[in-house]
Amino acid sequence: MSSTATTSDKIEYSEAENRNALIAVKAHLITGLLVFLLMMLAGFAMRAAQGTWLDIPVDLFYQIMTVHGVGVVGAAGLASTGVLWYFLRQYVRLSNTIVWTNYFIFLIGVVLILGSIFLGKYGGAWTFLYPLPGNSLGAWSTGSAALFQVGLLLIGTGFLILYLDFGRGILGRYGSLGRALGVTQLFGMEPLNIYHPATVVAGTMVLIVNFIGIAAGAVVLVMGLVNLYYPEFKPDPMLMKHLIYFFGHVFINVAMYAAVVAVYELLPRYTGRPWKTNKVFLAAWFAIIFLVMGVYPHHLLMDFPVPAWAAITAQVLSFGSGLPVLVVTGYGALMIVYRSGIKWNNTTKLIFLSLFGWAAGVIPAILDAMVTVNRVFHNTLWVPGHFHFYLLLGLLPMIIGFMYHLTGEGKEKAQSSATDNFGFWAYFVGCLMTSMVFLASGANSVPRRWAVHMEEWVTLAQFGAVAAALVLLGMLIFVFRSLFSLPKAANPN
Amino acid sequence: MEIISKFKREWMLLVVFIILALAPVRHFLEQSMVTHMLIQLPALVIIGWLATNFFPASWKERIKEWNRWGISGMAFAIVIMLYWMLPRTLDAALSEWPIELVKFTTVPLMGMALGLSWPLLNSIAQGVLKLEFWATFMRMGWLYLDLPDRLCSNYLLGDQRILGQLLLVAGTIWAFTWMLRIVFGVNLIKT
Ligand code: HEM
Ligand SMILES: [Cu+2]
Repeated sequence: MSSTATTSDKIEYSEAENRNALIAVKAHLITGLLVFLLMMLAGFAMRAAQGTWLDIPVDLFYQIMTVHGVGVVGAAGLASTGVLWYFLRQYVRLSNTIVWTNYFIFLIGVVLILGSIFLGKYGGAWTFLYPLPGNSLGAWSTGSAALFQVGLLLIGTGFLILYLDFGRGILGRYGSLGRALGVTQLFGMEPLNIYHPATVVAGTMVLIVNFIGIAAGAVVLVMGLVNLYYPEFKPDPMLMKHLIYFFGHVFINVAMYAAVVAVYELLPRYTGRPWKTNKVFLAAWFAIIFLVMGVYPHHLLMDFPVPAWAAITAQVLSFGSGLPVLVVTGYGALMIVYRSGIKWNNTTKLIFLSLFGWAAGVIPAILDAMVTVNRVFHNTLWVPGHFHFYLLLGLLPMIIGFMYHLTGEGKEKAQSSATDNFGFWAYFVGCLMTSMVFLASGANSVPRRWAVHMEEWVTLAQFGAVAAALVLLGMLIFVFRSLFSLPKAANPN
Repeated sequence: MEIISKFKREWMLLVVFIILALAPVRHFLEQSMVTHMLIQLPALVIIGWLATNFFPASWKERIKEWNRWGISGMAFAIVIMLYWMLPRTLDAALSEWPIELVKFTTVPLMGMALGLSWPLLNSIAQGVLKLEFWATFMRMGWLYLDLPDRLCSNYLLGDQRILGQLLLVAGTIWAFTWMLRIVFGVNLIKT
């Protein structure tokens, strides 16, 4: 365990502050993982229903689909925040009060959303795409659709507060976000500092992009609410769609870029080699700010009023967006690990898996972002296929790997136990199957978001349900670890 | 010397306020929705805000006791703002003089509340409110632009549309300068 960054870089906190902060991080992880587990159960239920093994009414299916979508996106935001916050506070001064504030606002938002779905029967998907929330044909009331959006608005406000604190901390230390991002080094206004913390770069990117995303969300959610209660106001559906997808897409994408700091921080600890930043790294992170904000229109390629140039731009950006950070991260990770005598434990295995999952998951994503392919795959299960791939195999392993790290496994030279090993493989194989079955279904033109599948598709869905059961098995072990080993673990370092 | 110039500036503020309240100026600014909402109301707020600079320190201390962290002041300001954002209230101010009187007192009061409370506010709260104000600009702009009906019976639909566009433009410029400042440390306006 050699320490990598120069220690003078680190912020000093009091003992009590550190203890409280660790509890906060654990709360984020445990809550996130529990929600993931429940939502996977929901995913399993959906697959089983599509495979005719489980008989659930159609309206309940859509409620489950809604809760699954909103639940995993929220959990991804919360858990990845836990990862990022844990590391970022070592470089810039962050407030415990604020991180807890966001956590509790999040929980309140969750209660509202659960109420809207299961009491109010809202089933208009987590994308609340206008004008669907106001046109349920009696399936749910205006009030429950509104409650859902108020819940989201609340959660957005919580994150806004958190990002403002990031901003305060980062500006306090670096003066401008540009400096924190390393833009000044990139353009030669400042000499390159190879120890400029990657976590600060990532944290700044997350803050900028999600701040703008939440700003768009704050506008579009309220416009949706106005429409619900004042239907004469009919905003342009296309504009609404753009803003909604911008908001949603940015938020879930950014979770990945928040969790990736686990790679930058943990691999050096387990290999004894520092993560050095260089200009390519800084350039990639600078570019990704614009790319992540510019790619969402790949969900809108089939909207004929969107001008061709816009669709083409989206396609080009989408090609580019997966790559820069992935490449610098993957390459950097390989360089660090290569011949380092790395210890393969749960943490490092999962971190490595995450790089594979991210890299491989980008391929179907890019395919789908091509206009010609999208003509065929749009709204098929190919779409859930690509994002389950890099969320299940890219994002979650980063979070789970970090969780294992926090349980203190780096300290003991102990090998991972047979149970953990089994969990890893069950999870890995299950997720791979889940995603591949989605992709295969998409390639066979099975539509997404259909509660009832046609006879020819049922077998595929059944495969999907089996795969989901395997994922659940693995996840259950991870969640047990987080419940039983994590709470009492001391801070590794 | 010092005292006199301070005295003068105080009077200046009052003079501007009186000019705004004079019937011809009032009618001129109120004949279009755009000047009413983008010139007259903001001017009244700013007058209130600036006036707080001239409050004696003892007043400020007194008020502070009731205005921990600026919360009560902000709450007061927001309530007044929401009230005057209702189209029918502005409409009423045009047709009934008592309401107009209320407007001419509460809006500067709101400015004072802002001036006294904003500096006391925690920087995170300032950020949240700033974003919320910005979002309100954009939402209102969008609403004015898209609503099929007039919101104020005293103004034409075209007027409402222009106001909507102006709000959106202003919001965009605001977002842009804000971003320049935070991301690149560029200060377009010295604050
Ligand atoms: C065992 C694991 C999982 C299974 C079996 C599963 C299954 C499903 C199913 C069946 C759907 C609906 C597909 C359709 O349109 O017919 C779905 C949608 C979705 N899933 Fe999962 N899922 C799992 C885990 C996750 C995770 C971990 C995430 C995110 C981190 C996620 C994110 C989503 C999203 C965003 C949707 C879209 C919802 C919508 O269309 O509104 N899923 N999932
Ligand atoms: Cu996408």
